[in-house]
Amino acid sequence: MPWRRLAITLAIIAPILALLAYGFTRDSRYIVSPLIAKPATPFTITLYDGHKLMLDDLRGKAVFVNFWASWCLPCREEARDLETAWQKVKDKNMVFLGVALQDTDKNSLEFLKEFNVTYPNGKDESGKIAVDYGTWGIPESFFIDPQGRITYKHVGGIRAALVISKLEEAAKGVVSAQEGKGDYSAIR
Amino acid sequence: MKKMSLRSVFVFFLLIFVFAGSLHAAPAPDLDDQTRAIATELRCVVCQNLSVADSPSEMAQQMRAIVREQLQAGKSPEQIKDFFVSKSGEWVLLKPKTSGFSALLWILPYVVLIVGIIAGLWFVRRWVAKKKSAQDTSTQSPVSQQVRTELMRHDIEQPDLEDSSTRALLLRERARLRNELTDLDFDFQSGKLSESDYAGLKQEIESKAAAIIQRLDSLPPKAVSKPAAASRSSARKAKAIAGQSQFRRWQIIAGGTFLMLFGLALGVMLTKSIRPRGSENDTMTGDFLTGTTPASSEVRAALNEGKQAFDKQDYPKAIDAFKKVLATDPNNPEAHSYMGFILIQAGHGDGALMAFDKALSQAPNFPMALWGKGTVLYQNKKDYAGARDIFERLLNLVPPGEERNEIVKVLAEIPADNAEKSRSPGQPKPTAAAGSSSAQISGKISIDPKLKATIDPNAALFIIARPAAGAGGPPLAVKKIDRPTFPLDYTLSQENVMMQGMPFTGKINLTVRLDKDGNPVTRTPGDLTGDYKKNPVEVGAKNVDVVIDQIMH
Repeated sequence: MPWRRLAITLAIIAPILALLAYGFTRDSRYIVSPLIAKPATPFTITLYDGHKLMLDDLRGKAVFVNFWASWCLPCREEARDLETAWQKVKDKNMVFLGVALQDTDKNSLEFLKEFNVTYPNGKDESGKIAVDYGTWGIPESFFIDPQGRITYKHVGGIRAALVISKLEEAAKGVVSAQEGKGDYSAIR
Repeated sequence: MKKMSLRSVFVFFLLIFVFAGSLHAAPAPDLDDQTRAIATELRCVVCQNLSVADSPSEMAQQMRAIVREQLQAGKSPEQIKDFFVSKSGEWVLLKPKTSGFSALLWILPYVVLIVGIIAGLWFVRRWVAKKKSAQDTSTQSPVSQQVRTELMRHDIEQPDLEDSSTRALLLRERARLRNELTDLDFDFQSGKLSESDYAGLKQEIESKAAAIIQRLDSLPPKAVSKPAAASRSSARKAKAIAGQSQFRRWQIIAGGTFLMLFGLALGVMLTKSIRPRGSENDTMTGDFLTGTTPASSEVRAALNEGKQAFDKQDYPKAIDAFKKVLATDPNNPEAHSYMGFILIQAGHGDGALMAFDKALSQAPNFPMALWGKGTVLYQNKKDYAGARDIFERLLNLVPPGEERNEIVKVLAEIPADNAEKSRSPGQPKPTAAAGSSSAQISGKISIDPKLKATIDPNAALFIIARPAAGAGGPPLAVKKIDRPTFPLDYTLSQENVMMQGMPFTGKINLTVRLDKDGNPVTRTPGDLTGDYKKNPVEVGAKNVDVVIDQIMH
């Protein structure tokens, strides 16, 4: 009889405690994206060199879209890695696109110059692209397959090796179930 | 005419009514209000605890603009909310949907409430039933009560299992009925039996018991006294019954106490572990609950105390404070970094490097530690390539501003590697402030023969130059020599200057200390010291000989 009661008490308390413990292990700021394996929202962006670029024009290529800002420290940390990765894949059927957020043109251009960024970069003037991609912490990177579907999302700083491997997966249309995470700055 | 006039008046009023009606029949809803209403239901992705309507962030402004734009495009509030859900998930809704998995959030509280009410009712019913049964026992018919009292008596004769006489058989039957009645009571109290079943079964047992008791009374009393074993068994049984109810009571008390303590512990630990976020990515709970670095108020207070002492150049106090921080949080990169800076101030480059490395092992991009390590490598170790690497790493991390300009300046100052390689290690680096060999002090340090016996073989010698003009404050230049042998020739020059950019010129007071623990900041009894007897001395002087002739007490 006492064992039965103990079992009932534990059956009530244990799930509550488990729920509590689970809550503590989670990053309360983290927002899980519903965009994985969904078609990437098309957008048109004016690049810093004056050209216009449409995401739809990149159909047929694996695309890496990176949201950044010059004031974001993790963006600075990953900048060289991104350029390294770009140099390694630029001759393949892959495209890099940087989208500057909540930044002044002057600072963005200085950033690009400082890190010798050679891949195309533009500014999200109205913030609509960021909203369309559910951006909340930068740097934030999206990998898009040749069919225009988002295959992987990484919030926070990313290393060159991971960029290359995820782009190769995107080129094959392989979708990652899990999002990646590194150090990030909340957007403003 | 009159008729016409009345008609025209009527038409006039009708026209006014219709016109006014057309103006007010469908008032255009205020776009701002509509935008605000929708924004109130959306969560800001930056502030997270504020709605898009209330958040002052740039992102919330952009989200409000999108809401407004979509309203203008004729979209319904539901469509607009669905749009944001499709981008950021249902998380973005401050009021979760009532369908799908989110429905649980709405249903669960009611389920818990209903279960709670049912459980409460069940407990109350049980409690009432118990009370009633107790009352029933006390208000039952006198015959029934008499039978029960007689049956439950413990002082009466106990059955002898080996005896096969009628009396013994009756006694055994009576004991059996008594157990049956006790079990019945217990089952009823624990809610296993309905009231009617209980009453029926009880009556059955009591009537059987009454018959047995009657037959026992009609038999002649047994001459022999009660066997001791029977008496003992009866006592044991009574004890067991009493023990059982006692055990139940203890169970309830223990359970209640456990729940209360658990609640208290959880309350106390949770409130203690909550802390302000240290950074944007920090959690709001610390300690063992999340396994994150504890940042209790004591640690924060000690850290602040240390920083204040450091700013006031009260280094012993700063060291105490940072040691306190490290005792609680041994990996605190800020405390390690400050310790490193204090060690730089004292000319202890190796110790400083170790402190900065410790900080960087915890936080590889901790700007303060990178700055410190770069400084040590540049100024103390003359490892220009290493210093350049560190400063370049730091440069990547620091956004444009004053600090960044400072790093750029230092990087420009660091000599090129090849220039360094062509110079011998002992040669001082050329600087704008002191390029000539006259910017140095040289001489001999010896020890008073009387103190020779007290020299610690592991002691370190510090040659300290303080500006003669300034009272207190950090030394201008310090040189450390491990395990010195006396007499010792020394040179103090620009490369021993502690603060970058300070020229090694002017009048200085020169002191030396033979430090037992090798820590330049702490002064322990037994350390040996000596001053240059003609202090102050001009930088550039030679033969500045010092004799170590004092013991610190």
